[in-house]
Amino acid sequence: MILFPATLAEPQHFSLWERLLFAGLVLLSITLFWRRFATVLRKILQSKRDADFRLFPLGRRMWDFFWEVLCQAKVIRQRPLPGIAHAFVFWTFCAFALVTLNHCAVGFGLGFLSSTSLAGRAYSYFAAAFAVACAGGILGLFVRRFLVRPRWLGQELSWESGFIALLIFVLMATYLAAFFVADVSPAARALWWLHSVALLTFLPVVPHTKHLHLLLSPATVFLSRGGFSHIPPLAGDEDFGLVAGTDLTRLVSLQAYSCVECGRCTEHCPAANTGKLLNPKEIVLGIRGYLNEYGPSSAEPLIGKYNPQEAPFQCTTCGACEFQCPVGIEHLPILVGLRRGAVNTGAWESDHGSRLFLALERGSNALGLPAGDRDKFIQKQQLPIFDGSQEYCLWLGCMGGYDPKGREIVADFARVMNYLGTSYGVLRKEKCTGDPVRRLGNDLLFQQLAESNLEMLSQSKVKKIVTICPHCVRTIQEDWKEFGTPPPVEHHSEFLARFVSQLPQVQGQEKIVYHDPCYLGRYRNVYQEPRTVVAHAGELLEAPRSHERSFCCGAGGGLAFLGEETGERVSHVRAAELAATGASTVGTACPFCNSMFRDAFAARGEDVPQLLDIAQLTARGLPNDAG
Amino acid sequence: MKIIVAIKQVPEREAPVRIDAGGKWIEEANIQWAMNESDAYALEEALQLKEKHSGEVVVLSAGPERAGTTIREALAKGADRAIHIACDDLGDRDALGVARLLAAAIKPENPDLLLTGLQSDDLGYGQTGVILAELLGLPHASLILHVEKTDAGLTVKRELEEGWFQNIELPIPAVLSMQSGGSKLRYATLMGIKRARTKEVRTLSAAELAAPVASSVRLERIALPQKQKSTQILSGTAKETAAALVEKLKFEARIL
Ligand code: SF4
Ligand code: SF4
Repeated sequence: MILFPATLAEPQHFSLWERLLFAGLVLLSITLFWRRFATVLRKILQSKRDADFRLFPLGRRMWDFFWEVLCQAKVIRQRPLPGIAHAFVFWTFCAFALVTLNHCAVGFGLGFLSSTSLAGRAYSYFAAAFAVACAGGILGLFVRRFLVRPRWLGQELSWESGFIALLIFVLMATYLAAFFVADVSPAARALWWLHSVALLTFLPVVPHTKHLHLLLSPATVFLSRGGFSHIPPLAGDEDFGLVAGTDLTRLVSLQAYSCVECGRCTEHCPAANTGKLLNPKEIVLGIRGYLNEYGPSSAEPLIGKYNPQEAPFQCTTCGACEFQCPVGIEHLPILVGLRRGAVNTGAWESDHGSRLFLALERGSNALGLPAGDRDKFIQKQQLPIFDGSQEYCLWLGCMGGYDPKGREIVADFARVMNYLGTSYGVLRKEKCTGDPVRRLGNDLLFQQLAESNLEMLSQSKVKKIVTICPHCVRTIQEDWKEFGTPPPVEHHSEFLARFVSQLPQVQGQEKIVYHDPCYLGRYRNVYQEPRTVVAHAGELLEAPRSHERSFCCGAGGGLAFLGEETGERVSHVRAAELAATGASTVGTACPFCNSMFRDAFAARGEDVPQLLDIAQLTARGLPNDAG
Repeated sequence: MKIIVAIKQVPEREAPVRIDAGGKWIEEANIQWAMNESDAYALEEALQLKEKHSGEVVVLSAGPERAGTTIREALAKGADRAIHIACDDLGDRDALGVARLLAAAIKPENPDLLLTGLQSDDLGYGQTGVILAELLGLPHASLILHVEKTDAGLTVKRELEEGWFQNIELPIPAVLSMQSGGSKLRYATLMGIKRARTKEVRTLSAAELAAPVASSVRLERIALPQKQKSTQILSGTAKETAAALVEKLKFEARIL
């Protein structure tokens, strides 16, 4: 082992003038820093309290902090190379906290990390190792940003980022160079001063730029609402969602100021990738712009200069943005919050939207069909009626009860349950779970639907629900909680995966590519179960974007009911991606995805893969007389 | 402009219809109620007129206590206040009897315009508006899709047969029976519902209005329509069946 012989040079005996100059610069730097940082803090703290915020239990918060902040797990996992580079910069900053303190102390002759003591020397080597990694990391990030220039970082080069990179590089270089000079040499002094200037410039730059995330994002991650796409309940009679500055809560404001403009959200956003106006990063920055100009006490509408109304209504609520964001920003409460503000006050005008709302005000399903159609389907399929004695209530949902393809899925799933001898029944009456209106921000309708369904379920004594629709699963399980206690609910993929070994294997090795529905994957963390089911029916292929990076089908967030999209269709992009895998069958696990791809494949014309739900894939293996 | 809109609460479109023991009405137990559809269009037209010309929209409804939810819905959509004629014997009154009740409540209000729906989705007499005009001595037009206010009074668009329309002029005050589908209905909002809580709902009893109950028409009994299924299966090549289908839609179903 070769020992690095050098010790870190520590200049001594600063003159009084030097000390005064240094003290002055420190003061100036801190003042400039604080002037901006205090403004930001004020805007955050002056925002409305989050009525439903609970600090406890701390376990989840501490874990998120440890995993996402200290380990930088999300940063690395979702973008490995730049992620590692970033992690090194971050860890170096942590390691340098002591170094920096000592550095300033040295300026006043109070240095405490003596480079001659064993501990001091060890620590300086430790820090130096990080400094090397950090310098390398920052160079890599610099090359990526200024030479490779990925699209989602925006068209314009950010000189701010370049400047910050330079400062960090200077900090590291001057630290490392000090190992090669003598304590009392003028070079050591020069390096010390250079390091000081870089440091004292860096400090005020932080709150003035997106590097504010250095200070805020640990808090943002720690304080986040948790859950996924958690839509906070409205607080009081005057809360209609995000209407004006006065509706911005502390969490929203904190998150808006934490955005590091990395563009990960935009990179994965189906709307932004198909030529829509919506860009999740701009939504967050729009809130920040609003806060900077008007502040959190303003009555100026949030929809306007900084956020055009069209944008939030183009969101499929796929959650890719929220999932990706490395600093803990929760986009969906913001996006749905803006929609709530517009819909709950009647400001949103949309022919399709009104039609959907009126259909659910007057009728039972989002498709606007007479409830009798569902009865006919139940009769035709001879589905047993739930009478309280069966184990499962099979929830049909709007798609399963009214959509022709959704009904085929239900029918096949029922065949599988019949084959397995599962006891189940369907409700005589069902209303839409309220998923599309929840995501579109119509709280009035959502509450009515949730309450009347909850009432119906408790009257029917339902203990367990199983359904073919991930949107129903999510809405029943999570969103209804605001109004009561829903029975446990599971998706049919979870059910099927449990029993797949008891089902006959489908003959042949058909290539099946599985599409992760957003509401099953990112929303519920169910990735493996449907794959188990698919693998039972053929050879499982993966799409280029799969699991938590799956690309939306375009239906969510009520968009399935809002008519034509601008730009390219999300469903066509995804359908093309699935077809390109060479699979002969696309396996889906959501009736909405199924209906979107059905249309997309129809538009492509000839030579498209088959489209089958996992229930249908499974039912194909059953003997003909089953069910 | 002061506009009164007469609305009625009727069984929801999807409500299961079962005839009750008396044979004169349906079982109300498991029914959900909604605003009569053409009344909803009348309300929408009134709200749009108010938005354009300012004024007041008053909703008027006769019915039992449950009608209150439909009245609230109208207030939530933007009506300014409401008059609820509390009466549990609506079924015993014929169109004339109901119109007399409504007219008695309308008279002291002196509205510039009175809108009703074309007909109710439950009983479907289609007469209340016409009789109201007669009782109040006001000009009347029915099957109206759209109302325009002019200096002289109103220009209204009427729906005629086979896709024809007629524009006619009326003086105000006037009574109009509105057809469904003339405009786009607005959706109910949370803000509307909350604001509606503080709006005035005046309840009048039928007795107070001193309108005679005696019916000139007596309801004997109601019956469900016989189900008639006449499925026809067309055979032949796709081309032939399509041609046959067009033929049938044109000349038998007369919907083309
Ligand atoms: S939820 Fe999906 S569609 Fe909506 S902004 Fe985020 S990434 Fe885009
Ligand atoms: S919101 Fe999150 S993911 Fe999007 S740019 Fe900002 S920090 Fe990055």
